[in-house]
Amino acid sequence: MVRNGTSLEAAHASVKQLIAEKLKYLVPMTVIFMVGYIGLTILAGFAKDLMGTRVIGSVNLGFVLIALNYVLSWVLAIVYGRIAAGKFDPLAKRAALEFSGRGSLR
Amino acid sequence: MSPTLGIFVVILLITLGITYWAAKRTATASDFYAADSQLTASQNGFALAGDWCSAAAFLGFTGLTALYGMDGAFYALGPLVAFCTVLFLIAEPMRNTGKYTLGDVIRSRMQTRTSLLAAIVGTVVVNFAYLMPQMAGAGVLVRLLTGISYDWAVIFVGVSMIIYVAFGGMLATTWVQIVKAVLMLSAGAIILVMVLSLVHFNPLTLFADAEQKYGAKYLLPGNYLKNPFDQISLGLGYVLGLAGLPHVMTRFYTVPDARTARRSVVWVMFLAGSFFAGTTLFGLAAANFVGQDAIRAADKGGNLTLPLLAQYLGGGKGTFGGDLMLGFVAAVAVATILAVVSALTLSTSGAIAHDFYVNWVKRGQVDGRREVWIARVAAVVIGMLAIALGILAQGVNVAVLVILAICVAASANFPVLILSLFWRRFNTGGVVGGMSVGLLSSVVLAMIGPAMRGADALWPLVNPTVVSLPLGFFGAVLGTLMWGRDAENEQRFDAFLLQVHTGVTPK
Repeated sequence: MVRNGTSLEAAHASVKQLIAEKLKYLVPMTVIFMVGYIGLTILAGFAKDLMGTRVIGSVNLGFVLIALNYVLSWVLAIVYGRIAAGKFDPLAKRAALEFSGRGSLR
Repeated sequence: MSPTLGIFVVILLITLGITYWAAKRTATASDFYAADSQLTASQNGFALAGDWCSAAAFLGFTGLTALYGMDGAFYALGPLVAFCTVLFLIAEPMRNTGKYTLGDVIRSRMQTRTSLLAAIVGTVVVNFAYLMPQMAGAGVLVRLLTGISYDWAVIFVGVSMIIYVAFGGMLATTWVQIVKAVLMLSAGAIILVMVLSLVHFNPLTLFADAEQKYGAKYLLPGNYLKNPFDQISLGLGYVLGLAGLPHVMTRFYTVPDARTARRSVVWVMFLAGSFFAGTTLFGLAAANFVGQDAIRAADKGGNLTLPLLAQYLGGGKGTFGGDLMLGFVAAVAVATILAVVSALTLSTSGAIAHDFYVNWVKRGQVDGRREVWIARVAAVVIGMLAIALGILAQGVNVAVLVILAICVAASANFPVLILSLFWRRFNTGGVVGGMSVGLLSSVVLAMIGPAMRGADALWPLVNPTVVSLPLGFFGAVLGTLMWGRDAENEQRFDAFLLQVHTGVTPK
């Protein structure tokens, strides 16, 4: 198989750009869900009284935070799906085309 | 014939029909391990829900909430949040770099036999640690539901799973999981509507009634997990352990591309997540309507809470509606176990046949037909071993194995997987270091902890993930540094990254 060196380099450059783009979104999103969830387990372990604060009727802060974690996970999933389809997929497609397209017979 | 048995026989006939249909479509290795990668996002999403929700989730979360309040809700939340990790970091790279197994990912990164062997050990240990308590649980459950003896119950479950996997491979396993997920979600929806109709569709009433009946402490954390570090271990184990469970991660090979893998994760997060959220309400409802005393009388650990709640909702003990609801939920519980043990058997047979025999022993020089044959034989042998272990496990405390499975997945498989995908300098030494330190620290700490030794524990935590996970990462980094720089491996990383992020295979 003949491989055009410049197209391979272009593909690698596109992947680097894709990774930079992914980091831009995934780092904050990962931090958000990890802080949200692990933070909740830490509060459950060490701040029981705070978790028992009544919020709505008999429902305390702990249950409210648990409910918010469900919502957060679902929102993040939808948001990730949109970002990936809108921003990551086109870059990945470009890199794949640069790799397989010019100069090689696949 | 009791409703339980009747409903269960129907489910069994459906799954056997599926297996017959799937067997005719299973010829190549790709068919056997990955359903030829032809599933849609929604199909794989349902199958993931069927795969991930074990009996511990289906029955356990409701029971924990009923008996211990908020801690049960924590148990139910973790498995949903875990999919955030999988969605952001694992699902698409898995799809892009592997073919059939977790070992494939490690192998395509490291291209060394030693690292492949380490991945095989990680897969087999986690799968068996997960499989054995499932078999033991199946024995107890099927005995309770149908009246046959524990040993026969284990044999029955084992033989069914061998038939599904050996004949129908991934296609049969997938559809068994989809059927189970549909049944589980239907049961959940029916119970939810019935519960809410009893409280005039105001879920807050469930909390108020529970508080009135059992006191404010019931709604506080710490009734089940007394040690705060156990709370954190549980959280970490879930959030990072799921990504290290080979029988769930191999589901991403059943879809054609990374985009579909991603969309299937979003599906499972809504499907399984809503069920998990439901279990918290079911638990509170069961505590209110059935009562903790009746729940404990039926099973000390609360595992029969959901069937009891269903019976109450259907009209109570002895009524036709009550028996029907109980039978339905009980049959779904058995289907749940069947779906999970099948996935574990299939994934282990992949590690033995594909990773070990084909790629390690024969260095890839095996034709497809023979590989499928070996994989089927491996599935039968693994299934028989699981039956034997299940029978031996009767009366043995298998709780430690459940903890161990998720702990090893988080502490050994996860660090190795994530560093393989994202760290240029990571090398074979790191794979071996992470796998062995993560594995050993999990096993040793679980064995000397309260789950195994009770009051004589030499170490306070039931679940050691909070310590063993950092140790696993430490072992991986230390192993990498001790192995020294591997220039060829680091140079190859650019090509590997291209594969991770786009799915093209550089050759």
